[in-house]
Amino acid sequence: MAYPFQLGFQDATSPIMEELLHFHDHTLMIVFLISSLVLYIISLMLTTKLTHTSTMDAQEVETIWTILPAIILILIALPSLRILYMMDEINSPSLTVKTMGHQWYWSYEYTDSEDLSFDSYMIPTQELKPGELRLLEVDNRVVLPMEVTIRVLISSEDVLHSWAVPSLGLKTDAIPGRLNQTTLMGTRPGLYYGQCSEICGSNHSFMPIVLELVPLAYFEKWSASML
Amino acid sequence: MPPYTNYHAQRSYPMPDEPFCTELNAEQRALKEKEKGSWTQLTHDEKVALYRLQFHETFAEMNRRSNEWKTVMGCVFFFFGFTALMIWWQRIYVFPKKPVTLTDEWKAQQLQRILDMKGNPVQGLASRWDYEKKEWKK
Repeated sequence: MAYPFQLGFQDATSPIMEELLHFHDHTLMIVFLISSLVLYIISLMLTTKLTHTSTMDAQEVETIWTILPAIILILIALPSLRILYMMDEINSPSLTVKTMGHQWYWSYEYTDSEDLSFDSYMIPTQELKPGELRLLEVDNRVVLPMEVTIRVLISSEDVLHSWAVPSLGLKTDAIPGRLNQTTLMGTRPGLYYGQCSEICGSNHSFMPIVLELVPLAYFEKWSASML
Repeated sequence: MPPYTNYHAQRSYPMPDEPFCTELNAEQRALKEKEKGSWTQLTHDEKVALYRLQFHETFAEMNRRSNEWKTVMGCVFFFFGFTALMIWWQRIYVFPKKPVTLTDEWKAQQLQRILDMKGNPVQGLASRWDYEKKEWKK
């Protein structure tokens, strides 16, 4: 989850998120370079007494400041497309979980072998146990086995929602009448928080998502106990 | 393309086409005739007079500083103060009570929970906690 004075992304819990972190570092570096160059040039413009009012053309510099940005954009686009295609790789998931967005909670269905389904409501602030995170905790967490490729199918029963878990690099819209798919692969055990990411009414900020990644044996025990 | 006249000196248009003084009295016209000859014949005062005929202000006069910045900064600070007053009033009379999760006790328990679940252990919060010595890493 987010922590105080955090500046960047949450630590990556999936390989795709690691790639996204590195790509963001790369692109942000380019952005900082361009911004500082522009700021420096602006400061030069503002602190000179020299004037020049008879410029007619500037063919050479215009060529450079067209070609160079094109090259920079290619240097950004290539890693970006690489990650985009990486997200869509064929990876043979071992488990399928379906999640439906409602106003204002998520419901989850594990129907591979049995009919397991439950709702996941946010815990109101008054009912939090000491030390729990306000507006992030839910009554029934999404327990999943770790280090396993999981297919998540996302849709909605009423209006648009979006199922997002930042530390896994996941955000997929929940659209009524449409089934969207995303792939989840958590590398570490633990609790991973996310929040609904598409405005859906008055309690849009109060329908969080909590993934609990556990070893396979615990997952099997949990799913047996939930039936 | 060029601006009107030399009426107000501009740094970006230092050599206007029109001279500053267009109506010249007899003495000034005589001076302009003398200007057509060799300039080494002109005295210093005559050169200054010719300059004043041609240009509204010297470069030094045109580029002089002003006290405008004091007025601007004064207004800026005044509005800072006014805004601060508004924010302070709002905090006391408008904002609701803070939730219980912002008390120090709750924040400490929350931090302990996050460390126990090793939240962000790579480069984030839990990576800065020394689990053996049970203290923050130096």
